[in-house]
Amino acid sequence: MNHEETQLISRCQQGDQEAFKEIFDRYQKKVYRIAYGVVRHREEALDIVQEVFVKLFHSIKNFKGKSHFYTYLYRMVMNTAIDHSRKMGKQIISSLDEEGSFEPSEEIEKWPEKILLQKELEEKVNGAMRKLPAEQRAAIIFREVEGLSYQEMADAMECSIGTVMSRLHYARKRMQELLKDYVGPQGQSNGASNLLKEEGVR
Amino acid sequence: MIDSCSSVSKLLEKYFDQEATDKERLLVKGHLQSCPACQHALTSMEGLRTLIKAPVEEAARLEDFPWIWQKIDREIRSQEKVSWWRSLRSWMDISPLFKKKVWIPAVATIAVLLFISTQVILKKIPSYSETSVVEYIESETYNIMVYESEKTKTTVIWLFDEEDQESSRS
Repeated sequence: MNHEETQLISRCQQGDQEAFKEIFDRYQKKVYRIAYGVVRHREEALDIVQEVFVKLFHSIKNFKGKSHFYTYLYRMVMNTAIDHSRKMGKQIISSLDEEGSFEPSEEIEKWPEKILLQKELEEKVNGAMRKLPAEQRAAIIFREVEGLSYQEMADAMECSIGTVMSRLHYARKRMQELLKDYVGPQGQSNGASNLLKEEGVR
Repeated sequence: MIDSCSSVSKLLEKYFDQEATDKERLLVKGHLQSCPACQHALTSMEGLRTLIKAPVEEAARLEDFPWIWQKIDREIRSQEKVSWWRSLRSWMDISPLFKKKVWIPAVATIAVLLFISTQVILKKIPSYSETSVVEYIESETYNIMVYESEKTKTTVIWLFDEEDQESSRS
């Protein structure tokens, strides 16, 4: 945690609302991405963002600075998001008529079939994510969405690096099984091919 | 190759997550040159990452965060308005006496005692509210005042023989 952030948190702890707004500006997107990653639903994700920042406003005075602030915040987001996900009965049914979870760009609007395929794919991913146990879902979101290191994940999830690696491994394995038609060389992404090329492989 | 695969597969995720040491990195890199299965595994991991991350990034890109801040700010301010009540409640929750909820029978007992003692005190104080002066006579020796109470059927005759001496008979 840098000195500037320490000062900012200290001001928040004294009830400075401008400082709290700065904290919001810094972390809004990260909090939203984690929330959305868990619930995969826009309105729910927004509710989680609101709940987390209101909770943070009241609880920030309890932050002692023993860990990084972002791991403290990420833990709060993940716990809140998983609670929401459980309350929702694990059944967020989205339809093509529903406002929200995906808004097509102008380019995609020209091809309705592409929208349908994109929607179908998104639903498959959402369904697969919901089948993961909460800890594995947390691990895969922290890593794949936020790009946290193993150590940062261990801090946020309050567990060992070995546990993080295990949760991540089983989450990936399960997701690959559930989405086997969409991942791999015949699937959408060619990012790994780029990685292999960059590394001089092949 | 099979032996090499089984040992490298354990490192493949670390390599993909950029958590491998330099030594592990070289080992995996060398293995990938000649192993289509591990190349496929790596491609699958990258594909999965894209599938998970892309919709989240797109959703975050489209979101209006100033509007969310307004909602949060409103919520915080509305909670502050009731904070005095909340602090009273939290004090009652914190206090070991009140935590046990003994205050409910205690307050009830105090209320009953207060009611009873008020009744007793009121009975002890003579009330002349329903007493009326019937007659007042002035003379050289005595001044006489006659009171009558309808409720207790009592007549009080008050004699004033001098200014500082008073006596009564009933």
